[in-house]
Amino acid sequence: MTAAGDGAWEWLVGPAHLLIKACDIGIIIYFLAINTAYLVLILIAVGEFVRRMRRASFAGYDDAATSPFTPPVSVVMPAHNEAAGIIEAVRAMLLLRYPVFEVVVVDDGSTDGTLEALREAFDLAEVEYVVPEDVPVRGRVTSVNVPRGGPVPLVVARKENGGKADALNVGINLARYPLVCMVDADSILDSQALLAVAKPFSDDPMRVVATGGVVGLANGCTVVAGRVVEPHVPADLLGRVQVVEYLRAFFLGRTGWSKVGGLLIIAGAFGLFRRDALVAVGGMDPDCIGEDAELVIRLHRKLREEGRPYRIAFVTEPISWSEAPSQLKVLARQRRRWHRGLTEILIKHRRMIGNPRYGLIGTLVLPFYVVFELLAPVVELAGLVLVPLGVLIGAVDLDFLWKFMIVAYAYAVVVSLVSVAVEEYAFHRFTRWRDVWGAVVGVVAENIGYRQLTAWWRLRGMWDALHRSPQEWGAMTRTGFGSPGGVTDVTDVDAVLDVRDSKEDGGDRA
Amino acid sequence: MIAPEVVTGAFVCLMAVFVALCVLIAGIRGARGYRNRRRERIAAPVRPLLLELLCADEAEQGWPLLRLAEMDRRTWKALEPTLAEMLGKVSGTARSGLVRLYELRGATENAVCELGSLRANRRGRAAQVLGRLGHRPAVPELCRLLADHDPEVRLSAARALGRVGDARAVPYLLESLRGSRAVPPGTVTRALTLLGPEALRGIAAGLEHSEPLARAVSIEVLGATGAVSRTTEIARALRDDPHTEVRIKAARALGRLGMPDGLEPLMEAVRPGHPVGLRIVAAGALGSLGALAATGPLGRLLGDPDPHVAATAARALLRLGLAGEDTLRAAADDPAGGPAAAHARAALAEASVGSRLDVRVEVAL
Repeated sequence: MTAAGDGAWEWLVGPAHLLIKACDIGIIIYFLAINTAYLVLILIAVGEFVRRMRRASFAGYDDAATSPFTPPVSVVMPAHNEAAGIIEAVRAMLLLRYPVFEVVVVDDGSTDGTLEALREAFDLAEVEYVVPEDVPVRGRVTSVNVPRGGPVPLVVARKENGGKADALNVGINLARYPLVCMVDADSILDSQALLAVAKPFSDDPMRVVATGGVVGLANGCTVVAGRVVEPHVPADLLGRVQVVEYLRAFFLGRTGWSKVGGLLIIAGAFGLFRRDALVAVGGMDPDCIGEDAELVIRLHRKLREEGRPYRIAFVTEPISWSEAPSQLKVLARQRRRWHRGLTEILIKHRRMIGNPRYGLIGTLVLPFYVVFELLAPVVELAGLVLVPLGVLIGAVDLDFLWKFMIVAYAYAVVVSLVSVAVEEYAFHRFTRWRDVWGAVVGVVAENIGYRQLTAWWRLRGMWDALHRSPQEWGAMTRTGFGSPGGVTDVTDVDAVLDVRDSKEDGGDRA
Repeated sequence: MIAPEVVTGAFVCLMAVFVALCVLIAGIRGARGYRNRRRERIAAPVRPLLLELLCADEAEQGWPLLRLAEMDRRTWKALEPTLAEMLGKVSGTARSGLVRLYELRGATENAVCELGSLRANRRGRAAQVLGRLGHRPAVPELCRLLADHDPEVRLSAARALGRVGDARAVPYLLESLRGSRAVPPGTVTRALTLLGPEALRGIAAGLEHSEPLARAVSIEVLGATGAVSRTTEIARALRDDPHTEVRIKAARALGRLGMPDGLEPLMEAVRPGHPVGLRIVAAGALGSLGALAATGPLGRLLGDPDPHVAATAARALLRLGLAGEDTLRAAADDPAGGPAAAHARAALAEASVGSRLDVRVEVAL
């Protein structure tokens, strides 16, 4: 650059210098704030865990399991191209420990013979059926099938393809009981799962409208006859990082939110709802990618607007297991879709954000989600650009920067490690030492590359939502959980059998 | 800007926390493993005796019982959680042996004392143990716990009262349904049904309770326990009670009781103009009642604008035998049948494959 040129741009250097410096300081504060916020949520969760542990011996599950007055549940399981694992999944559901329940499978226009597999396995017969229209549906129900002759509480409906939310709406219409449990067809539930997730409804029937269950990662776990019998941390780094992420953000974070009455997300993989509440809000929104979270926000909105006392609770007992992506490509799609969903939801319900009419949800939880979830990838990636730029123009001292980056990284690692410690203290699901150290490795590795990658994917998801690009459900590669009765290590199946069933994944938010 | 020394200090602190957390994790695992192994080791010598006690006849329980009662405090502490679990699972002489063991050890009295503990988890657990022991002298204390400030202790006390089976608890259980420290109706209902026939008089008195929830629970319990002598009062509640929830419970109870006195009020309750929830349950109850006189009213409900009422009526008709099936066939064959024909065909189709035909009796929590 010439001296004349230097002079021409000189006026810009000062303000730019100041601006970048201000941004860098903002990013530093943001980084501290987001980790501190998670730490606070985790500490709130710890209190809840200690309380639960001390009371576990008189929780009353045995009474609930045998009481004829335990509210009956309709388990709704949407399925699309799940022929590989649907039989075992339904069998496992039918063997859940619960006094009265039915399983409603909604085949959302599968093309791989899902319905035929079910027909053969459960001796189903097609019957004429009047499907109530309590919540609106798009895809027409083409057949309803029930087991011949037996007392098996199973209904299988086939409908035209319309997406997961639409399939769930059909399930809500078909459900005959006052509680509706939504589960993914590839979820593995612990035998006590329904008892645990229904407990708040029995304990506080006047107020509880929805409960969410803990979703753990099934990758690497030993699965026998549709049950996780030995939870393990996966051997691969991507799996380990996701285990830590699930622990911190989904498990402990949601427990903390639930404790303060601000639970915003119930996983589509496992949630229980009052049927009348679902009908009152019109069921799931088929136009929204994050339909599970959107439903919960809509419940909050309606109940707050009506001024009704209510509770949406998170059940801390580990109860449901889902397979997480084991390939970066698939993970990228998942995270892009999740963030797109979050963006759409927050835009749709923007009126609630900061609005005291919606209580804690409006004044704290939604603003938190905007600042620390929605904008996180923007700030994180901005940091990746602006901080080096600040160093380049001398706005930030290099010595300070690297020291600060190490501190920030160490803080994030400590927050995640607290999650692992809490898990070890409260649930100690991982029996092997190497699982625990595997999780510690995941803690250390999470902030190197993984976090930045997910920030990029999430930013793209936000972009998709803002530009209203067509919804792409994408094929979610899953490895399945092995054959009935067999002992299967999920990661081994991946390597040896390479059983791949592509599934239209309509929002398996964890 | 933050001073570099602060950043360095923060880093050192965080590293210390990191190391401390790693040690903590290892420590927790190690301590847990050690504790479990220790407990196993301590309890191992007395386990054969415990098995002997559980398997012995009443006459043969003396020796193992005395040996077990002599165990030291450390062994008892290691074994007690297993015993408490077993109490909830065994019955007959095995259970009475365990109860006797608790008494000989003084653990029953300890549990009674624990009901007054300042710690909620101790009160809750003590209530549960006393319930499993069926310790009647603890009933007044357990009744007091129904108003405990901790909701889980209240639940534990209510469950315990049900297990103890003492009719003195009835008014307290019904009273616990109201107020800011209420016990959930499902738990109270369950407890009341376990109390046995001597409690029925007290439960029936609940039909006149000023609290609608108490009336609803009383009716539900009377229906579930087959108190046919109370049919008239329940039928009156179905007709006259101002609260829909009470009327719904009354309709369901009348279906369960299966007495002719229930027919007339149920047929009235299914008519249009009543709350939908009540009509659904009443239609189901008419099916459970099995009275042929209900065929006509149920047949008319097939064309009801509410699909749940119509579907329940169709299923209920199938429970009425041939007359009900004939009504369904007539509706199904009606060329201008519309929704009524569809509901009739659906019920007949389900019946033809031998599927379950339970009527819809649950409309709300």
